[in-house]
Amino acid sequence: MAAGQSFYQTPSSDRHSGIGAWLLTTDHKRIGLMYGAVILFYFFVAVVLGLLMRTELMGLNTKIVSAQTYNALFTLHGVIMVFLFIIPGMPAILGNFLMPIQIGAKDVIFPRINLLTWYLFVIGSVLVIISLFAQGAPDTGWTFYVPFSITTHTGVTLTVFAVFVLGLSSMLTGINFITTIHTLRKEGMGWMQIPLFTWSIYSTAWVQVLATPVIGITMLLIMIERLFGVGLLDPSKGGDPLMFQHLFWMYSHPAVYIMILPGMGIISEIFPVFCRKSIFGYRAIVAAGLAIAAIGSLVWAHHMFVSGMSDAAVLVFSFLTFIVAVPSAVKVFNWVSTMYKGSIFMAPPFLFALCFIVLFSIGGLSGLVQGAAGPNVHIHDTHWVVGHFHFVMFGGAAFAFLGGLHFWWPKMFGRLYDFKKAYIGGAMLAVGFMMHYFPMFILGLEGMPRRYYAYLPKFWALNFFAGIGAYIMVAGIALIFINLFLSFKNPQAAPADPWGATTLEWSVPSPPPLENFVKEPAVEPYPYDFAGKAKKLKATGD
Amino acid sequence: MSNHADEKGARMGMWFFLYTEIMFFGGLFVLYAAYYHRYTEDFIVAGRETMLVLGGLNTAILLVSSFAVAAAVRAVSKSSSRTAILLLGVTVILGLIFLFNKYLEWRRDFADGYYPGSDKMASGPVGQSIFFALYFTLTGLHALHVLIGTGILAACLVLTAKRRITADRMSFMENSGLFWHLVDIIWIFLFPLFYLLL
Amino acid sequence: MENIVKYADNVLIYIIVFCLILLVLITAAMIYFAVRYRKSRTPEASDIRGNLKLELAWMILPTIIALSMFYFGWESFLGLRAVPPDAINIDVNAMQFSWVFIYPNQKESEGLMVVPQGKPVKVNLTSLDVIHSFYLPAFRIKMDAVPNMKTYTWFYADKPGDYHILCAEFCGVGHADMTATLRIVPESEYQKWLNKK
Repeated sequence: MAAGQSFYQTPSSDRHSGIGAWLLTTDHKRIGLMYGAVILFYFFVAVVLGLLMRTELMGLNTKIVSAQTYNALFTLHGVIMVFLFIIPGMPAILGNFLMPIQIGAKDVIFPRINLLTWYLFVIGSVLVIISLFAQGAPDTGWTFYVPFSITTHTGVTLTVFAVFVLGLSSMLTGINFITTIHTLRKEGMGWMQIPLFTWSIYSTAWVQVLATPVIGITMLLIMIERLFGVGLLDPSKGGDPLMFQHLFWMYSHPAVYIMILPGMGIISEIFPVFCRKSIFGYRAIVAAGLAIAAIGSLVWAHHMFVSGMSDAAVLVFSFLTFIVAVPSAVKVFNWVSTMYKGSIFMAPPFLFALCFIVLFSIGGLSGLVQGAAGPNVHIHDTHWVVGHFHFVMFGGAAFAFLGGLHFWWPKMFGRLYDFKKAYIGGAMLAVGFMMHYFPMFILGLEGMPRRYYAYLPKFWALNFFAGIGAYIMVAGIALIFINLFLSFKNPQAAPADPWGATTLEWSVPSPPPLENFVKEPAVEPYPYDFAGKAKKLKATGD
Repeated sequence: MSNHADEKGARMGMWFFLYTEIMFFGGLFVLYAAYYHRYTEDFIVAGRETMLVLGGLNTAILLVSSFAVAAAVRAVSKSSSRTAILLLGVTVILGLIFLFNKYLEWRRDFADGYYPGSDKMASGPVGQSIFFALYFTLTGLHALHVLIGTGILAACLVLTAKRRITADRMSFMENSGLFWHLVDIIWIFLFPLFYLLL
Repeated sequence: MENIVKYADNVLIYIIVFCLILLVLITAAMIYFAVRYRKSRTPEASDIRGNLKLELAWMILPTIIALSMFYFGWESFLGLRAVPPDAINIDVNAMQFSWVFIYPNQKESEGLMVVPQGKPVKVNLTSLDVIHSFYLPAFRIKMDAVPNMKTYTWFYADKPGDYHILCAEFCGVGHADMTATLRIVPESEYQKWLNKK
């Protein structure tokens, strides 16, 4: 390895070059970027599908798409966004690229399994696409509720198999990351010296390992049911459809935390850097992350308050739902308090982080309304729920992802983007977002159910308004990514540490060399010691 | 990356993997519990129709094979590869016998109409049909694991013969052994649930 | 009894108002800090790493608020589940894509549910094919109709008029069109309707 060369110039194995150096690489950075390429592609596809849906809903009597097409649209929008964007997005792109560097390692512990997960992911995603055309696009919603999913004639069998394969990929990534964080931390890095993004990846990986096998078996059961008709999920043969819902949410609720926890980790990295101040309550944030992962695994049946489940179960799951709200609230308070007496400067990543705080708070607080058993009966399966989870998943997870992308972009590609366009894009996204999703709360309270391709006339005005918001939002997304890609034309290389941050990834060149470190990394006793860093800079006369 | 960290990591990763396997089967055990609760009487009637003798024989086969694998791992660590090869050979043969017994059992089940969707089941109470649905799903997935495990252990045998598995490089061997033990343990739960207790 | 809807609404408002207060406080603090501690005004940050007392306070306080929300939510849920003994029983069969109502005298009607004013009505639900959900937004009730399973919900028919019944659980291509009308009429009219062939 030639000194000073970035990993782009040095393939991880001398045997391959060109495209082979990417497709057969075991370098965690290249694998992260390969995930990035595939995941962003599917993200754009799902955005277009979502926009089509909202365009259909903008008119009262328009029929841009048929009911069957609309059902396929929201099924695919859901499947792609959930399984191909948000679940793998942050752990597999940013986690892969940054986690090993943050803990001072040369790579993950199982580099070949890491590559295998990428192939499984690609195979799973291709199967999703094939299932569209094989027997007609699946029309069950991403929740695949039985008995509808076992009686419909569309290509659900292949779709659920695709989800099974994607689950396998996600689970192996989880095993890989937990083991890496346990065994490959640089000597001297104790558990309380681990940067918070890595901590969040660690909590996430646990959920991936804990919960993903359950979705595996659940999807397999649908396949067995559709292929052999054994009756385990078929009420006409003695099966209980509620068992499916339990098994499904036993995974899919924790999966929500797979989506949001890494986002929380990113926000925990961004706040201290742009406030030039240690994170407020490092230990509390770590503990809250683990608590969310643990309690979050026990709240699944709050999706089932009106399913016919026993009232006693409603009591227990409503209670646990309110308990899991507390650690999330603690994190929000800690982030805001980090700003207190800081020395705050604005940059695009921080703008996204600030938007995250507001949007995620709305998402989380609206979740409290749903967690309360009585109000839940009214708003369950209405547009309120659509608004709620988009505030959490998009306003929360995806804003954090965009913040992280802007934060680490210079590290990953060695180029800085234009700030002004990033601000405009971010602002457009945030404004469009509010216009688009906030009306859904009101629609839900008025009683508009979700998954309706047509609706009662009284819901028209707000649906039309939300549609305008959708277009502004999509324009914002377009501007954000165009701006990021334009940075490749920027002739000036980004410095190793453009933000003045303290964690290890900023001590290596941008982009990092193969095996990450030029000289042995030095682990600080506290990962966010900005006062110490300022002192050191003064001492060296900078 | 030091070899030591690799070995430790491989073992730790394997344990996490075994854990996911338990969760995987756990989902089905949850189904069993729920349906047993609902159709207790039917389960008891249907449970008498599975073949206790073959099930018992298969339990013995897996227990012996598990012991053989453990002994093989120990033999490798003591560098007596000839013993290891012998023991691995025994394990692979036992695994194949297990699968053959399974085949005999299922052939009888199908011939006598003990499967969901048969005329016999369609005319009887739904609980019995559910019992056999669980029986085929669980033992089927388990048999798939036996098949995969046998394949992996056969690979271990070849690698040991080729001196690619030695006392210094045995994490693959150890992990294969762990996987086989897991397959055994899952059977230890399946056997009473489908053959013995009801 | 008539207050079930009102109570459910009050709980909803209670929770939403608390949430709005919290949201405003968080947002206001964030904006204030961002302006007050901007770099040009505070070039040097203080090195504060946490404050145990403060952190305990904002752990315990939200817990108490959350538990109060849980309690009121549960109370209103109990109201939605406790059917008065004098309720009229109407069996509802859901199917792709319509609602069939069966009255105590075995009269059947499709797409139209007629009930007498001033009476509690118990809705006994089941489905003939896939899962549906009986949603009556005006009365804040919803319950899934599951094949091979009996579920129930109830409402108090206080004001005469027509109300929407919607399907809230996705059930296939006609999901959005699977609507019916609830008509609350005076007792005498109800009896006339009930005995008409």
